[in-house]
Amino acid sequence: MALLEVEGLRVRFDTEDGPLQAVDGVSLSVEAGRVLGIVGESGSGKSVTALATMGLVPGRIEGRARFEGRDLLALSPEEMRRVRGHEIAIVFQDPLSSLHPFYRVGRQLAEAVRVHQDVSRRAARARAVELLGLVGVPEPAERVDAYPHQLSGGMRQRAMIAMALANDPRLLIADEPTTALDVTVQAQILALLRRLQEERGMAIVIITHDLGVVAELADDVAVMYAGQIVERAPVERLFAAPEHPYTWGLLRSMPRLDVPRERELVPIPGRPPSLVHPPGGCRFHPRCPYVRDPHREVEPALEPVPGDEGHAVACLLDPATRRRLWREPAP
Amino acid sequence: MTSTILRRIPVGIGIALCAVAIAACGSDDGDDDSGGGFASGLPVEGAKKGGTLKVVSASDVDQIDPGQAYYQLTYLVTSATQTPLYAYKPEDPETPVPVLAESDPRVSPDGRTVTVKIRSGFRFSPPVDRAVTSKDVKYALTRGFFPSVANQYVQNYLGALEGTGPVVEGDTRELSGIQTPDDRTLVLRFTTDIGATAAQALVLPASAPVPEEYARRFDAKKQSDYGFNQVATGPYMIRNDAQGKAVGYQPGRRIELVRNPSWPGAESGDFRPAYVDRVDWTIGGNPTVIGRQVLNGRDMINGDTVPAPIVKQAATRSKEQITFTPLGNRFIPLNMSEPPFDDVNVRKAVAAAIDRTRLQLVRGGKLTGKVATHFLPPGSPGFEAAGGLEGSGHDFLAKPEGDMQLAAEYLRKAGFSNGRYSGPAISMVGTEDDPGSQVVLDQFRRLGFRVNYRSLSQEAMFGACAVPARKVDVCPNYGWLPDFNDGYAYLYGTFNGKAIAPQQNSNWSQLNDPRINAAMDRAARITDPEERAEAWGRIDDQITAAAAAVPTYWDDVPNVQSRNVRGVIARWNGAWDLSFTSLE
Amino acid sequence: MAGYLARRLLWVVALLLAVSAITFAIFYTLPSADPAAMRAGRQPTPQLIAQVRENLGLDQPVYVQYWRYMRDLVLHFDFGFSYQSNAPVREQILDRLPATLSLTGGAVVLWLAIGLPVGVISAVRRRRWPDRLAMGLALVAISAPVYWLGLVALYLFADDIGRFPLLPGANSYEPISQDPAAWLGSLVLPWLVLAASFAAFYARLLRANLLEAMSEDYIRTARAKGLPERQVVLRHGMRAAITPIVTVVGLDVGILLGGAVLVETVFNVPGIGRLAYDAIRTADLPVIQGTVLFGAFFIVVANLVVDLAYAWIDPRVRTA
Repeated sequence: MALLEVEGLRVRFDTEDGPLQAVDGVSLSVEAGRVLGIVGESGSGKSVTALATMGLVPGRIEGRARFEGRDLLALSPEEMRRVRGHEIAIVFQDPLSSLHPFYRVGRQLAEAVRVHQDVSRRAARARAVELLGLVGVPEPAERVDAYPHQLSGGMRQRAMIAMALANDPRLLIADEPTTALDVTVQAQILALLRRLQEERGMAIVIITHDLGVVAELADDVAVMYAGQIVERAPVERLFAAPEHPYTWGLLRSMPRLDVPRERELVPIPGRPPSLVHPPGGCRFHPRCPYVRDPHREVEPALEPVPGDEGHAVACLLDPATRRRLWREPAP
Repeated sequence: MTSTILRRIPVGIGIALCAVAIAACGSDDGDDDSGGGFASGLPVEGAKKGGTLKVVSASDVDQIDPGQAYYQLTYLVTSATQTPLYAYKPEDPETPVPVLAESDPRVSPDGRTVTVKIRSGFRFSPPVDRAVTSKDVKYALTRGFFPSVANQYVQNYLGALEGTGPVVEGDTRELSGIQTPDDRTLVLRFTTDIGATAAQALVLPASAPVPEEYARRFDAKKQSDYGFNQVATGPYMIRNDAQGKAVGYQPGRRIELVRNPSWPGAESGDFRPAYVDRVDWTIGGNPTVIGRQVLNGRDMINGDTVPAPIVKQAATRSKEQITFTPLGNRFIPLNMSEPPFDDVNVRKAVAAAIDRTRLQLVRGGKLTGKVATHFLPPGSPGFEAAGGLEGSGHDFLAKPEGDMQLAAEYLRKAGFSNGRYSGPAISMVGTEDDPGSQVVLDQFRRLGFRVNYRSLSQEAMFGACAVPARKVDVCPNYGWLPDFNDGYAYLYGTFNGKAIAPQQNSNWSQLNDPRINAAMDRAARITDPEERAEAWGRIDDQITAAAAAVPTYWDDVPNVQSRNVRGVIARWNGAWDLSFTSLE
Repeated sequence: MAGYLARRLLWVVALLLAVSAITFAIFYTLPSADPAAMRAGRQPTPQLIAQVRENLGLDQPVYVQYWRYMRDLVLHFDFGFSYQSNAPVREQILDRLPATLSLTGGAVVLWLAIGLPVGVISAVRRRRWPDRLAMGLALVAISAPVYWLGLVALYLFADDIGRFPLLPGANSYEPISQDPAAWLGSLVLPWLVLAASFAAFYARLLRANLLEAMSEDYIRTARAKGLPERQVVLRHGMRAAITPIVTVVGLDVGILLGGAVLVETVFNVPGIGRLAYDAIRTADLPVIQGTVLFGAFFIVVANLVVDLAYAWIDPRVRTA
């Protein structure tokens, strides 16, 4: 059984312009001890998906999110609270704004501990120092009394990760954990996550717009567009044989080492669609270079790719066509 | 500031509060019962001794030193704690009665010497605790000239004493013009024949004795603080400690009066009965709240102004808790030093045009006073001689509601052929919050005047009107409270040509009629009370006839008491008399 | 830190000097009243005016008078004597200080005790009926003129003149050392009246700040940690939202210590505010000067305290 199984998740916000369907029928699963990467542009619904399963998102939520068999979405607020920070933990994007500026880092860590464990203040503090050491913060006994603004970006993110680990969660959700950091630090953080994941056998859901991060860390990938999953595959298969035109666009717009530098990066034309008034049919059709008339009417469903275990795609082009298109250079 | 110049009732404030209740005050007074049913404020037979009287006032007294005291409010205290040479009985404001003095003052025929004999039996309160002698009265009068004391009226009325110069300069403490041939005789020598008037001024608290050996060290300071250490010769004293510090006075907060153990009482000839044992006076607060507290409570009387809503409430629902006492006058001076008011016909026209009943209305109606027909108000010596309530029948004052036709006639006599003024614009300075100023402005305009009108605060208004150089033509919000109840005190400063001063001028009409000036000089010398009253009454009439100013109003000052208080009004002061008021 | 403190204290002194100079200048240049003339009475002889003027030191040029005033002030802590009553100004002010302190202290406690919880509830129950009711009442309380509110309070609840005699009315103040029960009773109505508009203001302020704080990312983190909502609001939200409140409290207290004129007058609480009001009415410069300086002193000190407190509350400010 998967550690986390999300089925038919729908999240709707009521805005001034009308109801906004941020997540529209997302189903995915996370295996224990494995890393799932969720990839997409801003507004694709990737963060909302993860946060909605934790009950951290306002708005109307439908569907199921089973964690070790229990439907998180059906829990009472009190029960959900007990799960948060304990069995499932989250690391957010910007550690400067995500940590309380007025409290010392150690205190915030200790707080995370004491919410779920009945320990003394001193014990919690000791644990905080231990956690900081675990995530590679040098001189943790001193750093524990620092305020967030006194730490560098990388240290802050390590502290946030430490905070998330405080109660040995079985699932860690990392929402764009490296986006706010510069490249060298990014690499360190990713390495840290990898190490922690291996050491603890923790499952991670990593949410990112950066395919490079996915390549580094993920075991499985889900590509989201306009609130829906458009492709799902093990990571090697996604890079080797992507099936969805959107994924192709993402890959082509990425710089690669094995391609001559002179080759231009090709961005995906157009902009992500409005989620209040999404396009009819296939949501990607306004930007798809291979769009055909029926695509404007018919909504594609996520279907397995024939011959490729664990790989699914939501596209109306037939598989043979797609394979051929991928092998040809872009028009 | 308001009170300092007009000395007493904060005029502006009283009017302002009245204006607020104008609908209430005015509209009901169409057929009002201003005549009857109010407390008389007269002394009663069989009053009970004992108890603590509570006085509540919104504002503080001014200088509590009897040698400096100048406010109506402060006189409430000094008339209870001090024994001046002469004083008025509460019910008779016209006749000064000897208190510390043994008999009426003797003025020499040439008017330059005044001799007073004082009684024995009076003593100073602890810690001085000794018998009063004439030397103590001499010191009291002398210290008014000290720079450290600087009494505000002593220099006016007694300034002609011989030898004041060196004292004012600060060179000596010995005033040669006052002599004490023995312990009970006081002789005042003047350089002019002002004696008869100076004798009238001896009712003022500055004539109450002060012990030199005790007061000397306080008077030696740059500004004397004898007031905070004063001793008493009257039935009451400000509570003090063993050293004499008057701890019962907390400026701005409280005054506590207790009985003066050294006071001899009636056997000395002092007419004050002194019923209550203590007086507890609290200072500060909102006047309307205070008024309500007095009306609803026990043992309380007001100290200062009673605002219009309280007057109305008491006058309609608890008449026995309010009294009305005439005090002072109001008039509109017309600047005679330059056109157009140098022309008597223009002045008479203006006087005829002013609707005095309307002014009475905006001040709060019949309860608050009477329409004036001349300057000396009811209760002052000379009032009857000047024509009493009706006046002496000058045509331009005959109709209280104004006579526009007559005004037009006078304007024609002045050369304005169509009966409307068409000369240059005039300047007028009124007081903000004073609806009377607005009414007057209106009426001038109806006569055709173009008016440059400014509405200023009370102080600023005085700053403009009391300086002749500023050449203001009309200042409608003026009136006078005398220092003592005598024609001289009412009319000299306001209408004598010699009183015109470049600064702090009080003769706003700048009337300078040699005949009137001479008449005043003669009247000032008269010693016989009846003759004196008669003379000043006639002078009042002369001034009225000259239309130097338009007499508008004689105030009736309201005072309120709690239900169980048998309050007695000192009519000379328009306020309660602490030495006569008793509790039930 | 010591350097900062020293600099700020110098600023305090400089500001007070400036305030005293400006007050002096205003009094002498604005055409209100000549104190010597006022003191000298209605028909003073020129000699008397001159005498008084010399005695009060008013014949000297303004800067000499100012110099004398400041010299006496700094060397002897002597504020001069009231023109009106001749009483020493320093004694008068010190005498009034306890009442003002009592009035201010009680009012602060009351308005924080009322305003802060109301603000929190309003923020947490945003747009629901508790919020709307509270904000509506707050608007009324802020708009009501304090003087009027005081009179209404007296006419309703004063035990001597009120319709429903419940509480001691005006003029009932006793120093706490003399009669603690009377002291307390006499201050209840003034406290309520004074606190009313402040409580309303603080409720609205806290509501706005708290709503803003609650939309910050660290609140999301707190929830993600599994903290109960109550702690999220009180420990994380309030901690951030309270900062501007602290600043404003400090300043308000500083201002009130200079005297709450209106409340003190209506209820006849013998505080510095009433003293200032009486002095202004009678153009009593030494007293005006004294109360202004006192008021300025409290405000400036309050500013300093608030700045220091701010640094203590918000650690990001310290390293700046």
